[in-house]
Amino acid sequence: MIVYIARRLLAALPTLWAVLTLVFVLVRIVPGDPAIAILGDRATPAAVAALQAKLGLDRPIWAQYVDFMAQSAQGDFGTSMVTNRPILADVSAVIPHTIDLTIAAMLIGIIVGVPAGVWAALHRNRWIDVLARLVSLVGLSFPVFVSGIFLLLAFALHWRIFPVIGNANLSDPGDRLLKLVLPAATLGLVMAAYITRVTRSAMLGVLGEDYMRTARAKGVPWRRVVWRHGLRNAGMPVVTVVGLYVGILIGNSVLTEIVFNRPGLGKIIVGALNQRDYTMLQGLMVIYCFLIVVVNLITDLTYGFIDPRVKQA
Amino acid sequence: MLGANEGDTMMKLRHALLSAVFAATLAPGAMAAPKTDLIVGMAAQDVGKLDPHLAVSTIDRTVVAWLFNGLVRFKPGSMSPADIEPDLAESWDASPDKKVWTFKLRHGVQFHGGYGEMTAEDVVYSLTKAGDAKRSASSGDFASFETIAALDPYTVRITLKQTVPSLLGIITNYGGGFIVSKKAVETLGDKFAAAPVGTGPFAFAANTPNQSLELVANKAYFRGVPKLEKISYRFLPSNASRDLAFQNGELDLEFGNQDQTWVDRMKKQRGAVVDVFEPGEEAILHLNQAQKPLDDLRVRQAIAHAINRPEILKFQGADVSRTPGSVIPIGNLGYIDAGLPQYDVAKAKALLAEAGYKDGLTLKVVHTQLPNMLAQMQVVQAQLKRAGITLDLQVVEHATFHQMIRQDLSAIVFYSAARFPVADVYLSQFYHSRSTVKTPTAVANFSHCSAADSEIDAARTEPDSARQIALWQTAQKKIVAQMCAVPLIETLQAWVHTDSLVYGYDLKGSLSLGPLITEQTHFK
Repeated sequence: MIVYIARRLLAALPTLWAVLTLVFVLVRIVPGDPAIAILGDRATPAAVAALQAKLGLDRPIWAQYVDFMAQSAQGDFGTSMVTNRPILADVSAVIPHTIDLTIAAMLIGIIVGVPAGVWAALHRNRWIDVLARLVSLVGLSFPVFVSGIFLLLAFALHWRIFPVIGNANLSDPGDRLLKLVLPAATLGLVMAAYITRVTRSAMLGVLGEDYMRTARAKGVPWRRVVWRHGLRNAGMPVVTVVGLYVGILIGNSVLTEIVFNRPGLGKIIVGALNQRDYTMLQGLMVIYCFLIVVVNLITDLTYGFIDPRVKQA
Repeated sequence: MLGANEGDTMMKLRHALLSAVFAATLAPGAMAAPKTDLIVGMAAQDVGKLDPHLAVSTIDRTVVAWLFNGLVRFKPGSMSPADIEPDLAESWDASPDKKVWTFKLRHGVQFHGGYGEMTAEDVVYSLTKAGDAKRSASSGDFASFETIAALDPYTVRITLKQTVPSLLGIITNYGGGFIVSKKAVETLGDKFAAAPVGTGPFAFAANTPNQSLELVANKAYFRGVPKLEKISYRFLPSNASRDLAFQNGELDLEFGNQDQTWVDRMKKQRGAVVDVFEPGEEAILHLNQAQKPLDDLRVRQAIAHAINRPEILKFQGADVSRTPGSVIPIGNLGYIDAGLPQYDVAKAKALLAEAGYKDGLTLKVVHTQLPNMLAQMQVVQAQLKRAGITLDLQVVEHATFHQMIRQDLSAIVFYSAARFPVADVYLSQFYHSRSTVKTPTAVANFSHCSAADSEIDAARTEPDSARQIALWQTAQKKIVAQMCAVPLIETLQAWVHTDSLVYGYDLKGSLSLGPLITEQTHFK
């Protein structure tokens, strides 16, 4: 297992390098001068030039690249061009919020989506199936900034169960949970809708397989056949989707963070983009990339758990 | 089961408890004490720079005004140059030619965080820093300063190379006028912008990135101990959810939207007081005379006649906006109704035909995707279309827009701004040829206007204020005659606060673009 993990991590290194280079190029080809963004419209050209020099933006591009790669390799992302705060400190302060939201949304997605998908497949083309498909379609069609506002109107303003401002105190588990419920439900239900559809489709694929019939013929109870033989074999596409979606979830959390006033990586990245805060953007992209690599690794390991043939290969 | 005695005892205990709770509820001392912590919702992801000389966004400007003082200040609630009053300076005098100014400082003013007493050395350091392009975004305002000297610990002398229209305006509680602690800036270095040290009624306490900035009362404030103990400045970028948080009682004060729908909606909320105040940000179309066909005066006049200002006002809302009368905002010292061209589509078409564009023309225009500015520009686009002028809008992200318009890439630049309310500032930055974009001294002259250079320059050094104002008024008329720019609308600042919050002054205007929170601000 350790060799397997090590091999996967090594394989991720070229990906990380490629992404770092891409990030470095991307943030610089986006038009918009950080010095103007920072100094505002009353700044003189001399002030803009002075700030560009201070930020190192007047240096040759290759020198900036070498510095960036060297710092990234050491895990040093420097300080924000705008606030002068260390990037890692800013990211560390908000990453627990992003992780909370991602995991909670993923759990809601799996807990709701997998049984709903199995249920729909078992009742193919009956009203339960139609209902599940319809509900999942609605879930996928609603943007989070609409469903989020609806949830706030209902649960924060009307019933006053949850607050509108969701910046939780991390050292208070009750507060953390209270402020997680609505955003996690918003994102989780979209994920559940997605998983329902994939699970339904995967289950329909395996329900007619010979081994299912054989298990039935051997007298294995139907429930066990479905959950143990059926779902396990249908699990591969579901795990793939969950893995892919977790990556999307981290990226998509920005709208949820803004609507629910939660701190998080997505919110920082939007601020950095508006301000053309190159160093912050670079640091965030590297962290995002690292998270995606980790999620992919976990997905690969899960494949091995579901289907031992993957590990042997 | 309880015995009779036990039952009596329990009953008595219950009565005693109920009585105690009831008495405690009614006792005067137990009446809910007024809140002392203010929670403010700001449309922001985070603060940027809290070094007052680098604070340029509304988010930063609003809060630095609570942390710092200037030598002089606008009376709270006003932004009229006539209302400038002493702040860190107790008194001042000027030489007859207004080139030498001497300021006497207050004694005993303390910087936050134990950085000691504010003295002339801090003032010299602050104003020198504010004039240094490497350390200030307002350095242009200090170009006429020759020397700033400390005569003794409580006396500062400013000597100018030439007179300026409003020296007090430069050193007020705005932009480069804020006084910082020399010791704090030198000790903290770049960290000063994240953890500023001033003399204001509130002091920096903590900043949780992307969440909030926390301030505490400066108990040693020279005007007295602030009535509020804490301010939590929350970063809530979503307009909809910020409004919901206010509605839910989670905010006491909120940055609003400059549109009528928002004002009407908030006014209907129980306990909400909507503040609409100066400065009016004047939205203007700057017509780029360096590009064809806008080098033709008739085409520029045609555009001016195609603009229907009352219609734009109706779109934006009468409570938060007003129709401009000149190329500088109403209320600026030196403002005059400059006789803007009236809406007349037939005349616009005739002028176009005369200029050789009988079948109309198309202009390529770079514009921002910021929703309010984009919506206003779409109204303009529809109005110009009626006269046969097609705007080919290239909508880009806001930072990109700022870069592109400074590279002279747009035929028309829609720009909305508020400045220090003296005509010279707006005229110099937007209409003097020295400020033309893509020149070494560029500021924001997007139209390549040079119609009133001599009047603007003459007014700067004119010692007689009546003649100075006359020069500024002539300049405005000349700029309008040359149609360098077409004013559209002036939009005022809009905030909302709970009716239990008392500012402690009458809010008519605020150059920091947000309500000033002073030592007098409190809850009822």
